[in-house]
Amino acid sequence: MIKVTIKCFSQVKYALGTDELTLEFEMGKTTSQLEQLIREKAHGKLDGISLRVAINQKYIPNETELIDGDEVAFIPPVQGG
Amino acid sequence: MIITPKELHDRIDEFTVVDVRPETQRNEFPMDGLETIISKDGSTPNLEGKKVLVCQFGIVTEGMIIENDLDNTFSLLGGAQSWIEFQSENEDLSRWSRQTILPEIGMDGQKKLMNATVAVVGLGGLGCPVSQSLVTAGIGKLVLIDGDIVELSNLHRQPLHGPDDVGTKKVKSAEESLSKINSVTTIKIVDDYLDEQNGLDIIRNCDVVIDATDNIETRQLIDRFSKETNVPMVYGGLYRWEGQVAVLNMDGSPGYKELFLEPPSGGDTCADAGVLGMLPNIIGNIQALEAVKLIMGIESNLVGKLLIYDGMSHSTQIIQL
Repeated sequence: MIKVTIKCFSQVKYALGTDELTLEFEMGKTTSQLEQLIREKAHGKLDGISLRVAINQKYIPNETELIDGDEVAFIPPVQGG
Repeated sequence: MIITPKELHDRIDEFTVVDVRPETQRNEFPMDGLETIISKDGSTPNLEGKKVLVCQFGIVTEGMIIENDLDNTFSLLGGAQSWIEFQSENEDLSRWSRQTILPEIGMDGQKKLMNATVAVVGLGGLGCPVSQSLVTAGIGKLVLIDGDIVELSNLHRQPLHGPDDVGTKKVKSAEESLSKINSVTTIKIVDDYLDEQNGLDIIRNCDVVIDATDNIETRQLIDRFSKETNVPMVYGGLYRWEGQVAVLNMDGSPGYKELFLEPPSGGDTCADAGVLGMLPNIIGNIQALEAVKLIMGIESNLVGKLLIYDGMSHSTQIIQL
């Protein structure tokens, strides 16, 4: 099992009702699978919102395998100004 | 017809300025803060609109206008000499002493700031504090771009506009407020939205472009023109209690296109999502800070990084792009 911390920003924070989550799952999970899980937890509130993913404060290609202790951030574009 | 240096400074947008001096004089006595066209052979170029001719002391150009009976053409009273004196009288440098004593800035940094041009796209929640801070710090020239008008619901977060400005153009209201802060900064207003037609010409003449817009389409347009002109873009965006800032397209560093997948979707405006006035003022000031660092060549900055600030917890994250 691996443990991953998820940092939630902007619309992700409001959709999940928290700014941080800790999840445990089997090894071999990728960022795109985790994004899918996050979208399911949001019950449609993130539909149509594109997300960029960072691991340990660094942008990564979406399909990256997670390892124990990773901090994953999902960052949506924000429009306000 | 003649025009004084102060009149020229105050009405700079109305004129094309033509420098008729020989190269040696131009090099020896440069006219800071003035964009000029050079008349290589000392003749008057055939230009549309109002012109101001400049020689060294204002005598030659006055004669040229009378002899050739030139319409719509003014001679700068006292010539380049009086413009230089006007600029130095306005430059009481003690005004900037609290920032020039910083070892990273000094007089060299202040001079860079006073010779720099920054475009601010959007005069709303972000554009107001960005412009206010840059003018307060002594920026040489600001180009303000916005076609919007002031609404009552803007006032809680846009300190350059007041109740009497409701219904007027944001660029006009901002220009009036900014002129009171620092009359030496040249302010050019573009009473229109940035678009395919006007964007490239506006951005190519600037040192930095500030993205203070409220929509993703204009951010993408600024990004494209920023890449084409190699003028760095300071991006800022808001969602409720959170703000984002990044310095993009600096010598080939990632741009907005790389920051968010294309086409980015989602993201509510402040009108949809709500915002407390302090948040855009904090984020706008971070954008202004980054612009100043870029102009002064201070290397500790947000090039290639995305700063995310949360006004609720005061936590910040810096993501490497």
